[in-house]
Amino acid sequence: MSWLADRLAGHARAQPDRSALVDGERRFDYAALDAHVDAFAAALRALGVEAGDRVALILPNSAEAVVATYGTWRAGAVVVPLNAQAKARDFEPWLRHAGARVVVHEAIHRDARAAIEAIEPRPQAVVVDDQAAADTDLRWNALPAGDAAAPPARNEADALAAIVYTSGTTGQPKGVMLSHANLAANVQSILAYLDLGADDSTVTILPFYYSYGASVLHTHLAAGARLVIEQNLVFPHLMVETIARERVSGFSGVPSTFALLLNRVRLGEYDLSGLRYLTQAGGAMAPALAARLRAAIPQARLFVMYGQTEATARLAWLPPERLDEKTGAVGVAIPGVELEVRDEHGARVTTGTVGEVHARGANIMLGYWRDAALTAGVLGADGWLRTGDMGHVDADGYLFLSGRRSDMIKTGAHRVHPKDVEEVVAELDGIAEVAVVGVDDELLGQVIKAIVVFAEGADRSLDRVKAHCRERLATYKIPKFIEAVAELPKTASGKIRRSLLASNERREVS
Amino acid sequence: MDHKRQIKQFVLKNYLFTDDESALADGDSLIRGGTIDSTGMLELIFHIEETWKLKVADEEMVPANFETIDAIAAFVTRKLAG
Repeated sequence: MSWLADRLAGHARAQPDRSALVDGERRFDYAALDAHVDAFAAALRALGVEAGDRVALILPNSAEAVVATYGTWRAGAVVVPLNAQAKARDFEPWLRHAGARVVVHEAIHRDARAAIEAIEPRPQAVVVDDQAAADTDLRWNALPAGDAAAPPARNEADALAAIVYTSGTTGQPKGVMLSHANLAANVQSILAYLDLGADDSTVTILPFYYSYGASVLHTHLAAGARLVIEQNLVFPHLMVETIARERVSGFSGVPSTFALLLNRVRLGEYDLSGLRYLTQAGGAMAPALAARLRAAIPQARLFVMYGQTEATARLAWLPPERLDEKTGAVGVAIPGVELEVRDEHGARVTTGTVGEVHARGANIMLGYWRDAALTAGVLGADGWLRTGDMGHVDADGYLFLSGRRSDMIKTGAHRVHPKDVEEVVAELDGIAEVAVVGVDDELLGQVIKAIVVFAEGADRSLDRVKAHCRERLATYKIPKFIEAVAELPKTASGKIRRSLLASNERREVS
Repeated sequence: MDHKRQIKQFVLKNYLFTDDESALADGDSLIRGGTIDSTGMLELIFHIEETWKLKVADEEMVPANFETIDAIAAFVTRKLAG
């Protein structure tokens, strides 16, 4: 069963008129939202979608993304929320790997279109805007009616609910499999520590296709609370206006979200007294930034949190009243989760010793979709997950992180695998070698830098490299800086010495 | 060079890394699809302020004025007239 879809139906019965979702001018109460979810589930069934079939979404945050997610669950199928900022070279392997039967997308998304058209047999496309791109497309507003009164699908709790592709490389898609029980467990834990209830509300800009954004969505709908969607932070003052106008009680962001609000918006000019709490995840926030945030919105309790997609979303939280005493910590395990720090042999280390963080709980993924080897690498038979994050626990049991084992770059709310960018740059004529690293950035935490070696006689235009990336990579993966060098520093065995490249050298050199 | 052409060349050069005018239609959204993010929008606004010696107020920083090349050109024309 889908606990989340059932909760939604329960709220629709108990409090039909209560506001559930605001998307621009469109407002949905619980009864209306639930009716749309029923209709989408019925349409999927009419299309022949069966329990366990995959329904992929390539959508920005929108009412359609919410309806498609919950409707897919109500039909007993598996939702595959894809990063809508990705390009055709990502979508195609994801859609193939997931075996998507239906893809819901915007007709104007050319890369989504190109990927769908490259796959045989072609998945059924459902377009949410008015212009269908092909005769075979179904339009969101004209889906088959089906039997809306059919009872919701009854899966087992440990049945697959979602496959979430995380930052891997094109060659090896990493699809995190989450069950309905995983989602229910993590949502219940978060509701407990945030003390979230039906009177709460939030404005969200975090994408639903990332685990943090998904957890904001699901916790609010599970609580019978209200969610206001803002598309992006291009005009940060507009989002603050929405927070004030809608008098929301909570706001969630990554460190760069809060840096942007503090640096670009005169927060003092807005009435933000409705904010009861703020949550921060997605990487460490500098203590100075946290202090400025608390000074700017003093009544709001700041929850620092930590997690990863493989744990549905959340693993640890820092109780706001311990923030001063435990500066730099990501907190303690959330309800229902155990955390341990282990050495490279898998043995638990003593207090204060750095090791790899391991986690166990009902929120830990089932594994990676169609990749038993990758799963076995991180998930033990005893249910413990290797997070890949390094850290230590202090005498009070508070977890402090100290980096990752991998070279993953964190930029804003995104995680980027350097190899993913290196593969693309290397495809360009005239590139002999390339290495990609993250360099420090005040606003985004890190930005991407490519160090390239041009082949002899090659066109050395850096714009040519960026234009090539732009065609093939999501915007946030395009190197902000490119440096041309004569050779890359390497070890005796020929391995690139990334630590030498990842200096704070931000300038562009051709 | 007229406003629209100047703005378009700045956007092409700095966000699309090309001088191919066909890469972007004047009515294409710069925000949807992520051509310009928050930092990029601020750079564009600085560029406009510098080039035409005008001041863009907070309340003018809205999609209606900055969503497309057409909208930005119309905004600059209004500001210069006004």
